[in-house]
Amino acid sequence: MNTYLLQLKRSPRAIAGLTILLLWIIAALIGPSLLPYTYTGMDMNNQMVGPGEAGHLLGTDALGRDVFSRIIYGSRSILTIALLTSLLSSIAGIIIGFTAGYFGGIVDTIFLRIMDILMAIPPLVLAMVVLGILGNSTIVGLTIIVSITYTPATARVARGALLTCKSSEYVDAARIRGESHLYIMFVEILPNTIGPVIVEITARFAYSIMMIASLGFLGVGLQPPTPDWGMMVIENKSLIRAAPWTVLYPSLAIASLVIAISLFSDFVSKVMINED
Amino acid sequence: MDFLKRFAKRLGFTLLTILAMSILIFFLVEIMPGDVAQTVLGQSATEESVAALRDRMGLDDPLHQRYLRWAGGFIRGDLGESLYMRGVQINTIFWRKVGHSVVLAFTALLFYVPLSILFGVFAGVKEGKAPDAIISFIGLATMALPEFVSGIILITVFAVGLEILPIASIIPIGENLWQNLDILVLPALSITFVMFGYVSRMQRSSMVSVMKADYIRAAILKGMPRKYVIFRHALKNALLPTITIIGMNMGWLFGGLIVVETLFGFPGLGSLTMSAIKTRDIPLIEACVLFITFIFVFATFITDMLYAFLNPRIRYKRGDV
Amino acid sequence: MKTEPVLEIKDLDVSYHTLTDTVVALKGVSLAVGKNEALGIIGESGCGKSTLFYAIMDYLPVTASRSGQILFKGDDLAQKTPKEMTKYRGSKIAMVYQNPYSSLNPSLTIGFQLEEVSMFHHGMSRKDARQAAVETLSDLHLGDAAGIVRRYPHQISGGMQQRICIAMALLCKPDLMILDEPTTALDVTTEAVILDIIQELKDKYNMSLIYISHDIGVVNKVSDRIAVMYRSEVVEFGNQRTIYKKPEHPYTRALINCMPRAGVLKENTQLNTIPGYVSRRSAAEIGCPFVARCEKKNATCEEKYGMVERKPGHFAACDRAYATDIPDKVLAKEKGAIPEGSEPEHKTILKIDNLYRYYGPHGKRIRALDGVDLTLDRNSVLGVVGESGCGKSTMGHTVSGLMRPTRGKIIFDGTDISVSWRKRSPETLRDIQLIFQNPGRSLNPSFTIENIIGRPMLKLLGIKSKQERRKRIVDILKKVDLGEEYLYRRPKQLSGGEMQRAAVARAFSIAPNLLVCDEPTSALDASVQASVLNLLVDLQKDSGAAYIFISHDLNVINYLSDYIMVMYLGRICEYGMKTEVAGSPRHPYTEALLSAVPDVDPSLKRGEIRLQGAPPNPTKKIKGCPFAGRCHRKVGSVCDTTPPPRVNFSDTHFAYCHISPEVLNAEISVKGIEGIEAAADEEVI
Repeated sequence: MNTYLLQLKRSPRAIAGLTILLLWIIAALIGPSLLPYTYTGMDMNNQMVGPGEAGHLLGTDALGRDVFSRIIYGSRSILTIALLTSLLSSIAGIIIGFTAGYFGGIVDTIFLRIMDILMAIPPLVLAMVVLGILGNSTIVGLTIIVSITYTPATARVARGALLTCKSSEYVDAARIRGESHLYIMFVEILPNTIGPVIVEITARFAYSIMMIASLGFLGVGLQPPTPDWGMMVIENKSLIRAAPWTVLYPSLAIASLVIAISLFSDFVSKVMINED
Repeated sequence: MDFLKRFAKRLGFTLLTILAMSILIFFLVEIMPGDVAQTVLGQSATEESVAALRDRMGLDDPLHQRYLRWAGGFIRGDLGESLYMRGVQINTIFWRKVGHSVVLAFTALLFYVPLSILFGVFAGVKEGKAPDAIISFIGLATMALPEFVSGIILITVFAVGLEILPIASIIPIGENLWQNLDILVLPALSITFVMFGYVSRMQRSSMVSVMKADYIRAAILKGMPRKYVIFRHALKNALLPTITIIGMNMGWLFGGLIVVETLFGFPGLGSLTMSAIKTRDIPLIEACVLFITFIFVFATFITDMLYAFLNPRIRYKRGDV
Repeated sequence: MKTEPVLEIKDLDVSYHTLTDTVVALKGVSLAVGKNEALGIIGESGCGKSTLFYAIMDYLPVTASRSGQILFKGDDLAQKTPKEMTKYRGSKIAMVYQNPYSSLNPSLTIGFQLEEVSMFHHGMSRKDARQAAVETLSDLHLGDAAGIVRRYPHQISGGMQQRICIAMALLCKPDLMILDEPTTALDVTTEAVILDIIQELKDKYNMSLIYISHDIGVVNKVSDRIAVMYRSEVVEFGNQRTIYKKPEHPYTRALINCMPRAGVLKENTQLNTIPGYVSRRSAAEIGCPFVARCEKKNATCEEKYGMVERKPGHFAACDRAYATDIPDKVLAKEKGAIPEGSEPEHKTILKIDNLYRYYGPHGKRIRALDGVDLTLDRNSVLGVVGESGCGKSTMGHTVSGLMRPTRGKIIFDGTDISVSWRKRSPETLRDIQLIFQNPGRSLNPSFTIENIIGRPMLKLLGIKSKQERRKRIVDILKKVDLGEEYLYRRPKQLSGGEMQRAAVARAFSIAPNLLVCDEPTSALDASVQASVLNLLVDLQKDSGAAYIFISHDLNVINYLSDYIMVMYLGRICEYGMKTEVAGSPRHPYTEALLSAVPDVDPSLKRGEIRLQGAPPNPTKKIKGCPFAGRCHRKVGSVCDTTPPPRVNFSDTHFAYCHISPEVLNAEISVKGIEGIEAAADEEVI
């Protein structure tokens, strides 16, 4: 742990990323209780006012809703879904990828073919179609659908990590001890794949946020009145000339969060790769 | 000979994938909840009329029969009839939009591929120095922006601020795309941002690891000058993996197309798909998604073949010359 | 030096600077190479020999600092700019590297990579450059040069690739060629051919050579003078014979005595070991780099240390190799130290019957084992030797259970175990253990040593009590010379030798009756290898286990084995007691193998048999003798069409060959490893 902290201290980009991420998490956790406005509250006298005016930090939209509050409220759902998605798809990916890589042969071939087929539909398209038709855009629904679209990719990474370890002789040594398959996969090999797995989880976290924001933008994200950052952009698209702040700030919120996670994920990947 | 065998094998598998995909898409869409006939006729329709429509549309036939009918039509070039726009053959509206999207995708590729390669190679050669740090950071930042976010930023700057490009990508009635090429710029740029970020970083790391290779050391210690070594020895090896990456990212590109077309109102396959989903126009959804998949799988196939062709290790086996 | 030396290095220092500290890679190195002279540099890992190579060529990382003079025909290379250096590299000074495949650009044709050298350094046109390339390739005895230049590196074999790399170095007729372990990655018979070529070309082109290696035998073959390096310094420098017979520096003497070599038998002598391990050298350290591990150290080691000409032309940094004030370590063993085998009735522990192992898809089946029979007694060592592709590893894997035989029987202690590990009984699993080549990969990096050694105890011996296991682990650690503090360490914190000893401890912790050792010392330095070999001998004495020892290194096999089996392309060529196979070999392949092996003693000249070509394709079914294509004693077409019959030379010695027994007995010329029959009468210790 200590060596990681030391390296962290030496990387200003990673510190910046981590700080911004933590700020967002804090905002998501306690922000809503500190805000003067709710995300639905419509200030009818102050529709479409600019940032800083009439007590609205980032202005209001066409319905008089406070942009700043909506952004802070929105951070909760997007962070939750993204976190759950990255964890869920990673766990599923590990189980599937490990099994395929470990047993090899026909199991692996089937796995690879299925993955090839599943990856033939662009993930966003798949998610969009399923969500659009199902109409089930709840937190649970979004989590499950996005996890499913990402699982093939994480399974591939997990499989690759396992294959690297599988050729090492300590696996052979375990075999001639008569260890069971599950033991070899999860007690012998798994600890040695932690590096790539953690890198994958952090990268997935960033991609998930992008995907969820995009799905919201396409109208299949969380339904109003729940504030969804992507949805906020599409709702106010027509106002881009008249009230650019209604689209710009949600966009910047998305950008800042993903960049922050990417910076940190970059750092994690550098550190974990050097581990070997 | 080996290469042709590989080509045939991959082609076969590609076709198989498309077939499997078509089955998957068909079933996925067809088993979704909601009665199609009911949706078409509306809530107030009588049971008899719903039943009659179901019969007419063949909705009660067994699933595999319906699939074969649909797939058969597809192969013959008949994409079916739109559900939402009663009586309209999908063919009439489909292909024009596909053409537009192809042009848009091409433009995006034209923008981002040379740029990413150029900057990626440059950053890789200057590893650890200032240009590398700058390019890497820009790449990371742009990679993190979903297409609509970069789209919004671009609109704010160029369309609203500087007013040199149109906000919305609309083709006036009576004109065609080629008369309105400026509507391509901002949508293509939005996609370019994300792709540039990702591909330039991959290119950079490929370049870095090639420069560390033993054969580069051997070339330098043979007395070859550094610039020559970079261009004649390193570059080809560093570019090969990028071909695969560009191919793999075509899927992302198509996802991005949908987002970008929606943002800019560009009349292409993406926005067509969006409206199909919104209106629950099943045949249209199936046609759009299948076609997107088809292009993606084919693009992957072509990049695979290109890679195999350009990589001597795969193209030539022992004994061949 | 009568004439000016081609290369003279004076007081070369190289250090690497990191954020936290400075590591010394070279300190005060001074060497000279004359015209048409070959200088060999030997040393173990960490001695700086590779850094020397890069320092001469000015190819050090930015974190390195370099000082001193590097005089090449009078010009100081250390003062040249990078641009000026390009004129020297590849044209006046040329390099050949360890791994030929990775030194060639996979995306460029061989022709291109050869032509660019002439085109750039001599300004030749493409046509002329190609001509020069083809001519040089024929100097290297490569037929079909025109065909080769059109190919890509992956299309040709390893031995040919290295010849091409040498050709590339020769194109500009350099004054000096530096070779960094060029034959380490090659089979011993291929290596012999390449070494011959190098010598031939050295004279033909009137070049000087610097030959870097960890293998003294190989260096002996090529060089006239040898420099011994240890931990960034040259500790001794002189001609081969003196270095071998009467070294001055204790490290040189200790190193030579570590090596398995002619006249040293495990029954009589332990191999010398050097206690401790190589550590990094910090800038603050002064005096002899070997002092921490030296057995002849005394109070003068710091002040009186320095390179001095001890004998004419022979330099050493210390002369205490044979100092008498500290007695020599006793390596000789008492007679009868190795006990005889157990009672005759239970002597045989392993019997292999007609073993086949094929794998791969139909049409491309690789015949890894193509009909192998053998028996193994308790308390004995069977050395299995052969070059790459001979099937020795496959045999180890089938016996240990990692692979299932395609056909044939393996009978262990009366039980048929011709199945893979999944189907074997726990007793069998316990009884047969395996030691691997690369200790870094055979120990799980995430486990502690206690876990690694304790797990087999738990799983195979059923010892549930943690205290009990710990007690036994400490015991076995002691046996392999590792202290209790190793319990809590992880493999990453151990050196290569320590890891391998831990692996041996793991294998022995459950008292197996058969130990399969798959190249366990091939990745280790000489001094570390010696300690592991000694350990294996001692442990066998205690446990009475049988060993199958697989290696490509004939010197090691000769030291350790009681019986030797020579394999080629999945079949046995020859089998017998060590004295029989190594002392008086009968099969032509054994003969060729023995004549190719270089020995530590430079005066020992083996035969001159050289095998051309490469082993045949393992996927094609061979009707006759697998060695027929390259055999220098081929009888005739019968060798290609009929499998060779078994010819018995004694109760224990047989071979498979078409040559009649009388001819075999009379004609095989190589005397094998000298001194096998006679006891060690020379003073080699």
